[in-house]
Amino acid sequence: MSDARDTVAHAGWLTADKPSLPDEIPLTLKRVPSGVDEVMTEHLVVNMGPQHPSTHGVLRILVELDGEEVIACESVVGYLHRGIEKLAEHRRYSAVGTLMDRGDYVSGIHNEMAFALAAEKVADIGVPRRANWLRVLMGELNRIASHLVWYGTMGLDTGAMGQFLYAVRDREDLLDILEDVTGQRMMFNYVRPGGVLNDLTPRAEKKIRAFLSTFDAYLDEHHALLGGNEIFQARTRGIGVIDKETAIAFGLTGANLRASGVSFDVRRDRPYAAYDEMDFDIPVAESGDIYARYLVRIEEMRQAARICRQCIDGLPEGEHTAKVAKVLRPPAGEAYAAVESPRGELGVHLVSDGTDRPYRMRYRPPALFGLQAAEAITPGTFLADAVAIFGSVDVVLGEIDR
Amino acid sequence: MLPDATAIASLLERAGIVGAELSSEGGPGLVVRVERAQAGAVVQGLKDSDHAFVFLVDLFGIDTGEHVDIVYHLRSIARDEELFVKVAHEYGSDLASVWETHPAALMPERETAEMFGLTLSGHPNPKHLLLTSGSAPMLLKSVEIRTAEEVRNR
Repeated sequence: MSDARDTVAHAGWLTADKPSLPDEIPLTLKRVPSGVDEVMTEHLVVNMGPQHPSTHGVLRILVELDGEEVIACESVVGYLHRGIEKLAEHRRYSAVGTLMDRGDYVSGIHNEMAFALAAEKVADIGVPRRANWLRVLMGELNRIASHLVWYGTMGLDTGAMGQFLYAVRDREDLLDILEDVTGQRMMFNYVRPGGVLNDLTPRAEKKIRAFLSTFDAYLDEHHALLGGNEIFQARTRGIGVIDKETAIAFGLTGANLRASGVSFDVRRDRPYAAYDEMDFDIPVAESGDIYARYLVRIEEMRQAARICRQCIDGLPEGEHTAKVAKVLRPPAGEAYAAVESPRGELGVHLVSDGTDRPYRMRYRPPALFGLQAAEAITPGTFLADAVAIFGSVDVVLGEIDR
Repeated sequence: MLPDATAIASLLERAGIVGAELSSEGGPGLVVRVERAQAGAVVQGLKDSDHAFVFLVDLFGIDTGEHVDIVYHLRSIARDEELFVKVAHEYGSDLASVWETHPAALMPERETAEMFGLTLSGHPNPKHLLLTSGSAPMLLKSVEIRTAEEVRNR
């Protein structure tokens, strides 16, 4: 794809009576049309969601169908909008973490970390080495928990049920560990500017070691159960292909981008916390279909467990947080910090005006970019595949709507 | 990574952009400030240049109190460089879409326009993204958030 117009044509935004884009783009171009095509089959506009089991939250998708084939689709978001960016302008730096948790609620540690990193950059705060290692450890445990949710629901989207129960069993162990360390199962508020809230307890360490001792074997089982399933492969191989150019054009990041053959990972290319001290591989696939995204995420879980093992074995001694003023007043300035969340590059662009509250906080939601890519590639596929495609890019509406 | 400021300046000059200001002091990286009318040409020029800023990381606004700064956060995958293009827009003015250069801008532009009270032109679907139609542009500093008491007594 060399021209954005090709993408638009591919995205099905052109209708039969408007076969090419005029120079002046009419504002109504993307409205879903209704009516009949040349062979006189009636098109049906189906409204999926916002409370549909396969929309992963409160997402509404309008699809225009010709039989079972999707002709056009448009996603409608905003049902979960809470104004996190506006609220952040009215809270002290130490209180924004609770808002970030409520963005992408499946991987709270990463959200908090993105804000903490941006606040540390703008306020020039150093973080103790042990705190950085704890951030990596908890972040990677959270990544496995998040990918397990994706793995379970991806199967549900393609008609399988059993793997969801096994995924939730393993996630339960992880949530137990996270609760032990942070005190919460979802809204952790654990990573704070300057370090982390609590140090690792001996009991939590024992639980993490117990989890890691069995996880690789369980992961092989998970993979055999879903990835080895012939029906799942038939439903995902060659379906929902996002090629390299489309992935870049639509701003995809994370596992979705790497499944399309672009090797970019914030942990390696913009290292933060203690990732520059870790030894891990970054899985990349070329085919860009749903199965590639599945394989990349399965391998990411294996690598995450590998990083956790390094963290727990080599955790350096020291403080778990730096001495930070109770009320932060960073000097005026701007900073951008990004983390590799399970959904991709989660960035926080922070503007400080020298007061105790952020002047502006922009939260880059990676799932939003995934959603618009899914919306663009869905026309031309079957409705059942559309469900799988939207599931495969791992949308979390709490993050998209903020 | 920070690109070389002189290389970017000469690149913009070759693309026919005059009056671009470059700075990296106190900012998130190298910031290029250009006139509103040039925004589309600058983003396109940076994409077509040999630096190949083909990846739009993010697009958002900042209410500075005098105007709305629209920020285009660009990344070159080939050279591993990052660049921020800032364009000042007056309140209530027009935000010209760059979706033909970067389709990734489609949804962020809708969000930015509704949140900062700008009108969106050249966009295939310029509806509100997150807010109900008719909502106040929430991220402007002039729009106050209600206290819990105000909400209760509404």
